[in-house]
Amino acid sequence: MKRGELLGSLEHIILLALVRLDGNAYGMIVRREIEERTGRNLSIGAVYATLERLETKGYVSSFTGEPTPERGGRAKRLFRVEAAGKQALQTSNQTIRSMTAGLKGHWGTI
Amino acid sequence: MRRGSPPTFACWLLESLLPDPYREAVLGDLIEEYALRIESTSRLTASRWFWSQACRSLPPTVWSLLRSRDCLISISIAMGVYIFMGTLKFAADWMISKLIAPDQTTHVVLAPIVFLTTTVIGGCVATRIRRGATIFLALLVTITVAILIDVKVCSIPVPWWYQFGFLTLGPLTVILPPLFGRLKQQGTVT
Repeated sequence: MKRGELLGSLEHIILLALVRLDGNAYGMIVRREIEERTGRNLSIGAVYATLERLETKGYVSSFTGEPTPERGGRAKRLFRVEAAGKQALQTSNQTIRSMTAGLKGHWGTI
Repeated sequence: MRRGSPPTFACWLLESLLPDPYREAVLGDLIEEYALRIESTSRLTASRWFWSQACRSLPPTVWSLLRSRDCLISISIAMGVYIFMGTLKFAADWMISKLIAPDQTTHVVLAPIVFLTTTVIGGCVATRIRRGATIFLALLVTITVAILIDVKVCSIPVPWWYQFGFLTLGPLTVILPPLFGRLKQQGTVT
């Protein structure tokens, strides 16, 4: 990750979901994981568009699974977080922690 | 639409518009979740969810498509097929006016037949080359018909529904071949 470049909020959330799902992540599972944890009802298109962006940046990699009948004979596209993605997550988390440190008393006024 | 199978038109819409690398994955995911939802809710609720996902999924994926090289390829193919359709229509019009009936009234009667045949052929050719190109071809046909209506290319007065027919049926016949292809694939058309 370039210096000063932070993850977008959706990129951040999706990367965290991928880390949680640990290699068994495809669009639908990621979408449901986010919905269950945050209540955010994302569209599958938004999830894949973000995953594509993350893949272009080298933060995630994807591979095609086997086609299954319950998917109408369509293959899954599974994603996993790469080392660069984990680094980007650490940097983003660190930045947020640094910026929120000492603000506990201000939450009521922000 | 068969029971248990997601809305056909929504599937076709996604299949036509989604960028190639994610088309299979997005549709597969939606079909899988639709199958899970139909077990716990009604078909109507599950279909509504599917449509909502399809409609909300299109803007981010189309935006992603527009930023990719895929879009330029689809537009180029659509332009090529559009020129081919124009040549075909010009040749047919020329043959009709020279060989069959040169008067305007016969031309007005035959024009929709020639036009719709040309658009069906164009739609089939575009689908054969690249399915994603049909939507751009339909857009080109709509713009062309709208311009021709605006400049009043027809020298004799015609009713509004005649022009409206061109405007609606033109793009529809372009996008129908891939839709029927898909229906046939699913076994709903025998």
